[in-house]
Amino acid sequence: MKTGDAFSVKTLPQDLQASLPDVYVDDLLVSLKYFIDEAQSHLKIIDHAVCARCEHKPCTSFCPVGVYTLAHDGKIQVAYQACVECGSCRVGCPYQNIEWKLPRGGFGVAYKFG
Amino acid sequence: MNNSAEKIRFDAIVVGAGLAGSAAAMVMAREGLNVALIERGQKAGGKNYFGGAIYTHAIGEVLPDYMERHPPFERPVTEAGFWFLSRDGGLTRMMVQGGRLANEPADAYITSRAIFDVWWAEQAQQAGALLIPKTSVVDILWDGGQVVGVKTDRPQGDIYAPVVIVCEGVNNLLTQKLGLIDHDLEPAHMALAFKQLIALPMDTINARFGLPDDQHGVAASVLGDVSLGLPGMGFVYTNKASLSVGLGVMLDAVAEYKLKPYEILQRYLQHPAIAPLVKDGQLMEYGAHLIPEGGYRDMPKLYTNGAMVAGDAASMVNALHWEGTNMAIVAGKLAAETALEAHQRGDFSGAALSPYEERLQERFILQDMKQYRNFSHFLETHPTFMDAYPSFVNDALGQFFSAYGLPKKNLFKNILGSLTSRRQLMQAVGDILSMGRAVMGW
Repeated sequence: MKTGDAFSVKTLPQDLQASLPDVYVDDLLVSLKYFIDEAQSHLKIIDHAVCARCEHKPCTSFCPVGVYTLAHDGKIQVAYQACVECGSCRVGCPYQNIEWKLPRGGFGVAYKFG
Repeated sequence: MNNSAEKIRFDAIVVGAGLAGSAAAMVMAREGLNVALIERGQKAGGKNYFGGAIYTHAIGEVLPDYMERHPPFERPVTEAGFWFLSRDGGLTRMMVQGGRLANEPADAYITSRAIFDVWWAEQAQQAGALLIPKTSVVDILWDGGQVVGVKTDRPQGDIYAPVVIVCEGVNNLLTQKLGLIDHDLEPAHMALAFKQLIALPMDTINARFGLPDDQHGVAASVLGDVSLGLPGMGFVYTNKASLSVGLGVMLDAVAEYKLKPYEILQRYLQHPAIAPLVKDGQLMEYGAHLIPEGGYRDMPKLYTNGAMVAGDAASMVNALHWEGTNMAIVAGKLAAETALEAHQRGDFSGAALSPYEERLQERFILQDMKQYRNFSHFLETHPTFMDAYPSFVNDALGQFFSAYGLPKKNLFKNILGSLTSRRQLMQAVGDILSMGRAVMGW
């Protein structure tokens, strides 16, 4: 995967793309248990100007729980409360523009079954 | 400042109460060491999301009487193999049962890690280790070039020990702080795995999978029309009263195609071969986890002065064989044995911990990792491999087992055509040779 401004997107064949169903991720998140740290986020956009320059904003797609969304003001919004701490954004952000820490001890996702 | 009398001291610290960590803590505590087993979740296993099946050879190596301790297994794997899905709804199953798969206890048991890991950590606690949950390790404590403990996020949370075993999982923050690897793993070397756990009555599962009772279970690796032609693989596991259905796709592909994992998963669940299996099931849990599949070339240095690393943090995963849990458990044990030796000698230098790597080398862990060192690269350079052949298998068998009223020489020509429409023959031969090289380590 190329990083920074060299990051480029690829497209699936039309019929494959069309075969993807729409899924409302919140319908899945209700199955998860969290201990939410109301005091602080363990995820932080380092520089919003970098996100503004990022043409494709892949974090808004690849995050498996939809933490990253594009807000009305054009900024990336971070719903850290939904994070399952997989680390995809930590290594998948083409600009390495996400500060990814572990949630404070005891906080974050608490899988019931795993 | 703490003066030295007030410092919290242990003989050994283990970071992460997963499979590697609790194994390491168990082995050291059993020999009388005072061990701190630090876990950031509310409970052990609370951060793990997993297919999957656990191999008993590894559990038994650390805990020979494990069956008397009633491990919370789901079903034993009594039937395992490959399913090939095709775009037109086809399914070819290549499954094995009986023989080795009828062993008792079984070679592998399907497990829910958030439940299993609690039990596994309890075995370490019973051996005498102190489990410290709800505690994140945020840094390493050094004295010069020697690791002397860890910094946790608790107030006055510095904990000291002459040896630290890092089993932090795939997000290798501490392994980097230890200087054992100087970079994050690349998205092209990590599978993003995601699944749904779907509740169904036990009898329904038995009927749908042709199983006599809940002491029989299926583990299927699912290829073909699963991951949109991108490098990836699906799975289906039967728990006692739920199904674990999901897939892994290389993270770079998910990012570059701007795919939403839950949409890929939903598409897979709607495949005509999968949908009847999960029909009327209730979602129990959705989740996702990264798997470090870069193999040997992505492994960090495994030890430094006063510290060792084991499990996912050290990329101990054999992607082709779904192995990783067994490597983690055995590596945890080997790190613990090395720590015990270091205590006997009173020497915790890197040189004193270097036998850890020799132990890994004597076992399947480093031998397999080395043999498969090119496999990750093979998949990277043969992105259609996971797509073209599984769909060919369906097509070829479909033709073979159908009668068209045509001469059979046409049949074999058609089957060959079905392959060559996907891959030129020379490419196919090249693929097979490359695959062979990657797997055999030539």
